[in-house]
Amino acid sequence: MTSKKMWFLGRLMHRHKRLSQLSSFFRSASCAAEGAVAPPVDSSVTAEQAVRLWAQHFTLHGISEPLLSSQYIIAHVLGKKTFEGVDRRQLKDPLTDTQTVSVWNLCTKRLTSMPVQYVIEEWDFRDLTLKMKPPVFIPRPETEELVGLVLENLRLIRGESYGADLRCLEVGVGSGAISLSLLHSIPQLRVFALDQSQAAVCLTMENANRLGLQDRLEVQQLDVMGDSDALLSKCGPVHFLVSNPPYLLTQEMQSLQTEIVRFEDHAALDGGLDGLSVIRSILVLASELLIERGRVYLEVAQCHPPVIRQMIEETMPGLLYLETRCDLSNRPRFCIIQRRA
Amino acid sequence: MSSLLLRICYGFGPPLHRQLFKWPFVLAAGKKDHIDLPVLNEEDLEEQFVRGSGPGGQATNKTSNCVVLKHLPTGIVVKCHQTRSVNNNRKLARDILREKLEVEYNGEESELLRRQRESMQRKQDKRRKVNENIEKKRRFKETLNAGGDFSIKSQEP
Repeated sequence: MTSKKMWFLGRLMHRHKRLSQLSSFFRSASCAAEGAVAPPVDSSVTAEQAVRLWAQHFTLHGISEPLLSSQYIIAHVLGKKTFEGVDRRQLKDPLTDTQTVSVWNLCTKRLTSMPVQYVIEEWDFRDLTLKMKPPVFIPRPETEELVGLVLENLRLIRGESYGADLRCLEVGVGSGAISLSLLHSIPQLRVFALDQSQAAVCLTMENANRLGLQDRLEVQQLDVMGDSDALLSKCGPVHFLVSNPPYLLTQEMQSLQTEIVRFEDHAALDGGLDGLSVIRSILVLASELLIERGRVYLEVAQCHPPVIRQMIEETMPGLLYLETRCDLSNRPRFCIIQRRA
Repeated sequence: MSSLLLRICYGFGPPLHRQLFKWPFVLAAGKKDHIDLPVLNEEDLEEQFVRGSGPGGQATNKTSNCVVLKHLPTGIVVKCHQTRSVNNNRKLARDILREKLEVEYNGEESELLRRQRESMQRKQDKRRKVNENIEKKRRFKETLNAGGDFSIKSQEP
């Protein structure tokens, strides 16, 4: 858009009180987000048209998943989780002024490569809808499989109702996805969760409160690598330990998507040179915190399982490497480890 | 009017039950009466996710979680993107497939089809009643207005 057009649009928008909310945003946003556009001033736009318009815009500016981004944002403004959930007739209705302002605000944020989950400030994880807030790590679909694996394994060991009285530790709680999913599925479970990020601790507690799961969850800001003594004294013995720890290799950090580099906490991703620095600390902790035959469930990088197995066999006599499981893309992704009797 | 619409729908485009209903139908929350749906054999299924060729895991942040489920013996394909959770889309895709298989295997005898037709009939009846009520109220108001003029005239000395 030329500066002349922008000036003209700015003047037009000034005269339209209904959209004045957006005009000030637009003025500041146009500096921040290249490609920010104003909504049509005199006519209204339908949901369908907004989707197409913004998909084109995202494409033009090299934003990834342009159509999906546009669909998720507009569906969210219309009160639905996905585009498929929007009534077909509603797609052809003009958006209200409030809706138009929302769509334009949110899509302008997406133009900065902000992940959709941060733009709409929420995302789904299994049966739960969780609040999302930068820079707290956004749960990945693979981690849904980790939770499924834990539940299946626990049913195998303890019976279909998970037995009596269960306690677990989660390392690196993030937005609370894993802990809250487990709490939701296992009524008798109590969780001690930690994260070295205060933002993550706060977000988890917020999500726990929204879901009514706060009574069975304790969250603390602790660093599994540096605060192990404090941790051991605060968290008693647990039946199992679960974690999706930072597992990327430092060298991988450089080639990540813009969405991740710009907005997500790097400390939630970087596992050091070999990607195992946090995992190593977790395993050391596990041999002290787990009850006998208690298990560790980990999500890891696909190169890790054999290395972890070897590390345990050679340097951690208190632990036994049980099994590796693959994710839905058939990549080795999950490790199950047990504390020896 | 609505029966004409029905005839138009049956005559053109995909079958009515596919057009007007949200799948899954019976397995959707709230519908308690049990139908015997076919059991799925995972070996008969071919599942696809649009995840792209990236490294996956923490290294990727993609929002595509649509699930495509193909039933190999019948060739029926279900595409589900109802939620933002891959896990839930997989479950829903299987629920939808079970319902579609019930219709496929039973044809006109399908219990599901019968329930859908009943549900639609009930909705039509309800809509007709609502419209009748609106019409009744409208006529009553007109009567009132006419009667109102009379009563004022009769009060004049």
